[in-house]
Order: sequence, then C-alpha cells, then structure tokens
Amino acid sequence: MIEFKNASVTYRGGVRALRNIDLTIHDGEFVVIVGLSGAGKSTLLRAVNGLVPVTKGSVLVDGKEVAGASTADLREIRSHVGLIFQTFNLVIRTSVLNNVLMGRLSKVPLWRSTLGMWPEADREIAMQSLERVGIVEKAYVRASNLSGGQQQRVGIARALAQEPKVLLADEPVASLDPVTSHIVMRDLQRINRELGITTVINLHFLDLARAYGKRMVGLQAGELVYDGNIADVSDDTFREIYGRAITPDDIMEMQG
Amino acid sequence: MTQGARPAPPKKSAVPYLAVAAVIAFTVFAARQVGFSLSQIVNNFQTARDFIGRFFPPDWAWAKENVPGPMIETIQIAIIAAIIGCSVALPIAFWASKLTANNRWVYYIDKWFLNVIRTIPDIFWAMLFVTGIGFGAFAGVLALIMFSLSIMGKLLSETIDSADPGPLEAAKATGAGHTQAVQASVLPQVMPNYVAYALYIFELDIRASTVLGIVGAGGIGRVLEAQRAFFRFDRIMAIVIVIFVIVFLIEQVSVFVRRRLV
Amino acid sequence: MSEVFRDTEAPLGRPEAPRGTRWIRWTVVVVLVVPSIWAASGLGISMQRILEAPADMWRIIRPMLRPDFSYNQVFERTLPKVMESLYIAWIGTIVGALFSFLLSFAAAKNLSPRWLTFLVRNLFNAIRAFPELLLAFIFLPIFGLGAWTGTLAIGLHSIGTLGKLSSEVIEGIDPGPLEAIHSAGGRWPSVMRFGVLPQVLPTIVAYWLYRFEINLRVSAFLGVIGAGGVGAELVSQLRFRNFPAAGTVLLVTICVVLIIDTVSSMIRRRIITGKAGEEGPTELFDEPAAVGVL
Repeated sequence: MIEFKNASVTYRGGVRALRNIDLTIHDGEFVVIVGLSGAGKSTLLRAVNGLVPVTKGSVLVDGKEVAGASTADLREIRSHVGLIFQTFNLVIRTSVLNNVLMGRLSKVPLWRSTLGMWPEADREIAMQSLERVGIVEKAYVRASNLSGGQQQRVGIARALAQEPKVLLADEPVASLDPVTSHIVMRDLQRINRELGITTVINLHFLDLARAYGKRMVGLQAGELVYDGNIADVSDDTFREIYGRAITPDDIMEMQG
Repeated sequence: MTQGARPAPPKKSAVPYLAVAAVIAFTVFAARQVGFSLSQIVNNFQTARDFIGRFFPPDWAWAKENVPGPMIETIQIAIIAAIIGCSVALPIAFWASKLTANNRWVYYIDKWFLNVIRTIPDIFWAMLFVTGIGFGAFAGVLALIMFSLSIMGKLLSETIDSADPGPLEAAKATGAGHTQAVQASVLPQVMPNYVAYALYIFELDIRASTVLGIVGAGGIGRVLEAQRAFFRFDRIMAIVIVIFVIVFLIEQVSVFVRRRLV
Repeated sequence: MSEVFRDTEAPLGRPEAPRGTRWIRWTVVVVLVVPSIWAASGLGISMQRILEAPADMWRIIRPMLRPDFSYNQVFERTLPKVMESLYIAWIGTIVGALFSFLLSFAAAKNLSPRWLTFLVRNLFNAIRAFPELLLAFIFLPIFGLGAWTGTLAIGLHSIGTLGKLSSEVIEGIDPGPLEAIHSAGGRWPSVMRFGVLPQVLPTIVAYWLYRFEINLRVSAFLGVIGAGGVGAELVSQLRFRNFPAAGTVLLVTICVVLIIDTVSSMIRRRIITGKAGEEGPTELFDEPAAVGVL
C-alpha cells in the first residue's frame, strides 16, 4: 500500500512540484495519473521510492516511511518498487539479459554482480521476466540492437525481475508508436492482473488513460485535483484537470 | 520598411594589444634568461658536426651484449606500472566524478589529490622513490604507477562526467547499493574508453621508463647515463635507435588495437 | 517477429548463451596476467620490499612536510630555478609553436601534395618518438650544460607533437568557406586569412597552451641532467638528504605549476567558448587515435 500524507516537494530554487498530496493506493490497484507536463506526475512517482525526497509531509510504502529513511531502509524499500522510465534507461552496450539482471542487484553481493557470476536462481528469475514480456529470445542480444518497444519491454522485465510489490511507470509509452504503445499497456495490464502487483502509470495521452485505466488521478500544478473511477471520467473531467481545452496533441491516435 | 538606428560599433579595447605586448616583452626577457643565442647555434655547427660524427657508427657489438637485458627490464617496468596504475585508477576515477562519487567529501578530496599528483613530473617521482627505497626497478615501477594513475584518473573521470546518467538512476531505483549501481550501469558505458586510455598510458609508460633509469630507477636509462659519463656516444646512438624502434612498434600495435575498439 | 499480443501463443524456447563471452574473458585474463607474471619475476621485487616500502617512503616524506622556508632556500635557490624552468618551457613552447605551425600546413593532406605530407608527417613522428630527456641527453655534449640545451630539447620535441596535432586540425576544417572565398575571387593569402586561419587558430592556440603546461613539467625535470631548471636543485637536495629543502623545492614547483595550469585553463576555455564551452584539449589529444575512440 502506498500512502501520501500531506506530502509536498519543493525543489531548490523554489519550484513547488507537489503541494499537500493526500493519496492512498491499495495493493493490487491499477492507477493512471494524468496532468499537463510539469504538473508533478514524475515527481509524484519518484517520491514513492525516494529518488525525489519529499520536503514536507510523508510518503509510506507498506507502512515504511520513505522520507528521511536511512540508506539501508531506502534500498530495502526500493528493492520492492520497480520503476519504468520513458527513456528506458537501459545500458545499451550490454546484453538484454544483463540489463534485466540489474533488477536483482539488491539481492546479490557486490562481488557477484561485478564478476557477472549471478546465482542460477537469479538467472532463472531474469529469464522468466523476459518470458513474461515475450522477448526471451532476445536475451543475449545487445540492447542497442532493439527497437524502442522492445527496449521498453526489457525495462519492464528488469522491473519485474525485482519481484516487486509495486510497479511505477513514468510515461512508459511516450517515446513509442501507437501500435507498440498498446502492446506495452496491455503487458502492464496483464502483469497487474496476473501477478497482483500494484501498478501506477503516468500517462500523457488521454485516450490511453481512458482505454486502460481503472482508477484515475489528476494532477494540476502539483495539486491533486481528481481521484476517481475511470468509468466516471468524461471530456469535461480532462478539461478541468488540464485547465484548458483538449487538443489533438493529447490524443495518441491523432499523432503522426 | 524603415530600419532602426545603426548600432554603435563595439568599443575597441586596449586589452588585446596590451596582452600581446606583455607576451612579447616576457618572451624577450625569457629568451635572454635561457641564453637564447642563434649565433651560438651557428658557431657550434662545426663542433656539432664533429660531435655528430662521434655518434656514428653505432657500436652494435657492444650493444648486442649490453642492451637487451636493461631494455627488457625497461619494458617490464612499464608493463607492471601500467597494469597496477590503471587498475588502481579505476575507483579513483569514479570518485573524482560528480556523477559517481559517493558524496561531496570524497569528490573534493579525490579531485584535489589527483590535481596534486598530476603536477609532479614522473622523473621527480622516480627521484623520490629512489631516495626512499633505493635504486632499482622497484622505484621505477612505483614512480610510473603514480604517473599512470594520475593520467588515467583525469581522463577517465572526465569521460565518466559525460556518461548517460539514466541507467544509473534505474540501477539505484532497484535498490542496489551505490557501488553496485555504478558498476552495473556506468562502468559498461566507459569500458571501451578505459581500455583505449590504458593502451595509450602503456605507450607513455614505455617512453617514460626508458629515461627513468637516468636517476637510478632501473632500466636502460642507467646504461645511458653510464655511457654518457664515458662519452661513448656511439653506444648511446645504438641504444637510442633500439629505443626508437621498440617505442615505434609498441605505438603501432597500440594504435591498431585502439582503432579496432571504435 | 510479429508484434501481436503474446500470451495467447506458446512461449518460444530460451536461447543458448553465446560461447563468445567466455572466450573474451579468458583472453583478457591471459593478456593481463601472463605479462604481469613475466614482468614481475624479471624485476625480482620481493614481498619484503613491497611491505617495507610505505615505511621507507614515510621516512623521507615526513621531513619534507616541514619545508625549509628560509629566505636563502626559497628566494635564492629555489625560486630562481623554478623561474628558469618557466622561461625554458616558455621559449621552448614558442619555438615549437612557430615551427610546427609553419610545417603543419605542409603536413596537411588537404593543402599539400602527397609526397610532402608524407615527408613532414614522418618527420614529426620521428621527433615525437624521443622523450625530451633523451633529446636533452643528446644535445648536452653539443650545446653544453644549461638552460639553452633544455630549451632546444623541449622546442624540438614540441615541434613534433604540436606539428602532428596542428596538421590534424587543419585537415578537419570545413572546406565551404574556402570555396566561398575562391569563388569571390580571392587568392590564397585571402583564403588563408579568412578561410583557414579563423577556423584553426582557436584550437591550435589551445594546443599551444596545453603544451606549455606539459613543457613546464618537463623543464622542471630536465635539470636533473643539467639542462637547466629546478631539477638540479632537487637532485642536490635529495643527494644531501636535506629533506626539508627538498620539500621546499617540491612545494614551490607544485604551486607554480598549479598556477600556470589554472591560468592556462582559463585562457583555453575563453578561446574555445565559441565551441559550446568545451575546455579544449587535454592529455587525450596527444594521441588523436584515442579521440576517435570517444
């Protein structure tokens, strides 16, 4: 369970990225977060695993406080939270399998990961993660030789290899074409359904949010302005969250 | 369409002219200090010609007996120093980069350390080690380790500075410790550069190693110094030619391998 | 591979680990370990010496940490010699810069005929192969002890290194402006002045400055064989085991080198700011093949 209690994030220089967020996400939920660029979506996600520390209030993951946690505690929390990036953030010089094995870093000692002597059990988990996203045959291919969609699936596999309780995705399909975006969104949906992993996804495109979201949270200028069932969402809801009319830029199917 | 008023031309400053004048003045002054003398070169041409005659023919007979041993020692010194120096430089380079240093303190101390080490020429290191632990190859090895370390430290840390921080963020997000995250995400990125630098540094080490012996740190330099004392320039010429050939060969191999790394 | 939703199909088999990776690892180990063992055994450095080394070094470094700040040591012995090293490096760099600049045009493939570039380039390579100390060594009997020998050694070596670097800069220029000047009717002095020089001067001057930084260190140690500069002073202090004085020499040398380094970096940065604020050359550029690797 993820809880934001009156959480605020103010960056150095005075930018208030999050203001007094109160939000509770229960285990197994599938939540999409929408909002304009700069509304605080990325900050919200990174506050969950402490990559961005909250400056006021608290963030709790399964009852453990993230803000001000010790280095060891923070690592423990992070090992249960998988993060998927818009820019994939793979190590492109090395193989797909090595990238996915990065998800197991917190579980193996330094000397093993440095020498590449991963225990059989961890290799097995990595392989299974690749199978779950359907690209295991690329396991030994150099990451730079994959398409965008394939790289993102490696990113998902890496997060899955952590055997996480929570999956966070920061605009995971923003760099992908529509067809691949649907595949990735469906993968995330399926993972949530089959493995029961709490999933929180930042989305830029509103049609995707409507198509895949179950619960939707809307952010505007760092504040939580909407939190409800996707079925109740209309174009007016989006207009309110965005503070302006919807444009074709906000709809994926209207791109390119 | 009417244009606005013409802009005023930028003010001509006297600074560039002053700077050039200062540079020229300093140059003339310095030239006098070092005893710059074209006439000396011209006058010495005849003496130079005589001396050059004493360099030839190179004394190969003597060289066959007395050069291979010390030359091999020279190469051995360079190999060990390059391997140890470049290995130790790995963590030092990572600590000297804002991207991968564990914290501010480590970064500043390490940077300062690298800067100081870089200012001391390799020969000075050799002299220090010779004074401290005695004549011989060990001093040479230690001196070149400091030398290799300082160069690799600077080159590699600058490469790390421009590495992609994204994978590092991803690694940290999985809960990995700092060193683990850096090793898994940044090290693979800089590996090709590291190997290229190591080969380059090995070349530099070979060159430096040939002369370290002059201050007693082992290798062919010792022989050079001895022959100079006896004015046996023909033997010195033989040594110099051998050095040249070996350095050239190693350089070719190194350049070849580095090109294939691209 | 079709991009169809996967989980309705039977999963594909897992691929085999490629055999290549094992082979590479073993080659690396062999390449590193075998020469090390050969080298280490040849040098005969005993474990005992290795363990004693830190203590031995501390015995001489400790007194150096209390440098001799007497007027005599600092101002009459050390500082003049350090300044002498500075002058040697300065003149040596200028000599190297001037000659290399002129020759580099002859060595540039885009400005000179093949036979000429071949000649000049190999001339540069031949000169570069000799470390400055070796050159000074050879010049000593000809030009005698003193700063002039050191200057010549540094100057000559710099012609080689700067020549190679400068010619590569010239080869890398954009031919566009040259064409433009040609077609506007300009002849080669104009092509040089308005087309070539503006493109190459900033980088080349930056190389000169960087070379000066290195030459300062070189001139510091050329004194060891009597070619002028502070090296001789360090040698004599160490020989007489006068460590506080040696410490002074090192301290003053380090300070002067650091000052020059900083000033030179600042100037280099300003010269190159046109190019997106890069710092300009570092040691890396002494061997442009490595640049290609980046």
